[in-house]
Amino acid sequence: MPSADLTPPEAARWAARAGLPLPADRHTAVAATANHLHSVVALLRELDFGDTPPAGAYRAGEEQHDATV
Amino acid sequence: MRPYELSLAAAAEAIRARRLSPVELVDSVLDRIEQVEPQLGAYVTVTAEQARRAAREAEREAALGRDRGPLHGVPAGLKDLIDVAGLPTTASSRVRADHRARADSTVAARLTAAGAVLVGKTHTHEFAYGLTTPQTGNAWDRGRVAGGSSGGSAVAVASGTATFALGTDTGGSIRVPAALNGVVGLKPTYGLVPRHGVTSLSWSLDHVGPITRTVEDAAIVLNALAGHDPRDPASLATPAVDHRPGADTDLTGLRVGVPRTYYFDHVDAQVEAAVRRAIGQLEALGARLVEVDIPMTRYIQATLWGLVAPEASAYHEAGLRTVPELYQADVRVLLEAGELMTAGDYLRAQRSRTLMRSEWGRMLAEVDVIAAPTVPITAVRAGEETVSWPDGTAESVSDALVRLSAPANITGVPALSVPVGHDTAGLPIGMQLLGRPLGERTLLRVGHAYEQTQPARALAPAAAH
Repeated sequence: MPSADLTPPEAARWAARAGLPLPADRHTAVAATANHLHSVVALLRELDFGDTPPAGAYRAGEEQHDATV
Repeated sequence: MRPYELSLAAAAEAIRARRLSPVELVDSVLDRIEQVEPQLGAYVTVTAEQARRAAREAEREAALGRDRGPLHGVPAGLKDLIDVAGLPTTASSRVRADHRARADSTVAARLTAAGAVLVGKTHTHEFAYGLTTPQTGNAWDRGRVAGGSSGGSAVAVASGTATFALGTDTGGSIRVPAALNGVVGLKPTYGLVPRHGVTSLSWSLDHVGPITRTVEDAAIVLNALAGHDPRDPASLATPAVDHRPGADTDLTGLRVGVPRTYYFDHVDAQVEAAVRRAIGQLEALGARLVEVDIPMTRYIQATLWGLVAPEASAYHEAGLRTVPELYQADVRVLLEAGELMTAGDYLRAQRSRTLMRSEWGRMLAEVDVIAAPTVPITAVRAGEETVSWPDGTAESVSDALVRLSAPANITGVPALSVPVGHDTAGLPIGMQLLGRPLGERTLLRVGHAYEQTQPARALAPAAAH
């Protein structure tokens, strides 16, 4: 297991910190998927972004949006 | 030919000429649904009574000389992420068991205004977070996956239970099932078709678009859907364009980019052969083939997941805390794990997207379209989870299905999947045409020209297996 990987108890603690208490029977599966996602997205750390801004869509002065679904 | 077998363009022409009434067409499609839907499972809800009522109204209007255009009286299926006033938008999820949409989505309202008749809401992989749509069987072999997430829409169009349908596409969810079921799927330019009233998977990457039997049909539906709506923050204010391709199939002067990298790596030999044959047809029509190198391929999967996972978990924040047990296992664990990604992960993906868009812009300055496979494989058997490649590597089915479609979501460029044949097991193969932002007319022209070189395609056998 790579050293950056989360153990099941660590995944549970991270989830709790994100406001998502996980029942004990979820810890192993969530840790495995979180570690997989991490291994996929960690590649982006190789890129030299320089001054590149994120591709956000925010523009001041747009219409108000209805918050209800 | 029975009415349910007609393309949208042919049905529209027959209705306009009063050779076919909307009632006959809708009844024919509803009969077809009764016949094959029990085997295929494409629909969450069939709105037969409302459809018959709308068809009678369309017929009355036609008799009075009021013509709403080519969608007048034409039966459509909408992916069940798309709000239709008064109906539940279930997202094919138990989480939405008590849902009821209070208003039409922009696209539903535009289709209704154009005279289309809703015949039902089609299945999606739960909340569009997956590539197989397990509730639905493939239209060519129901023991195989429909593809996803707009699996119900693609199977309905392929099997004759909708004359056209709408899907949504976040990583490939229109094009993947279109390719696997032998129909046409168009993911328009990001922002061209408004998403107001459509359940989100990932705001950065979500698109709505048509699934049809022909390229011309996709153009007809796009004409009705495109146009600015300020209620979608990504919606583009662009001038109205008629996307319908002309009769001319001459492609002289058109530059078709053929990828040297990425799009033909780890692709099934039969899929590659069919797509290269189709590219040869484009050359025979006058196009010039130009080799291109796809930029930043190492970062495509990372960028897609860096955007989708945090955004999907954010959308489902409340549901995950109140009714987590109502999600399917595959979707639940992705939503939970997405909560553990950092702001740094997300921002790197957003910044990578900026770089990728710019690199693709440079590449697309050299060619008019890029031609490639839509998916690297044909439909796998339901339950299969891994694809093995001749070099000894393996890949999950979901990773394989999304691999070639994801770049167009990240960059926002339009992408069209066109059927280009079948493998030896009789399963459909799709070619993907990618263009410049707002280059839909070019894509549709090229796709239509290719279709004219081929015999008309029959419907999927649907109930034969």
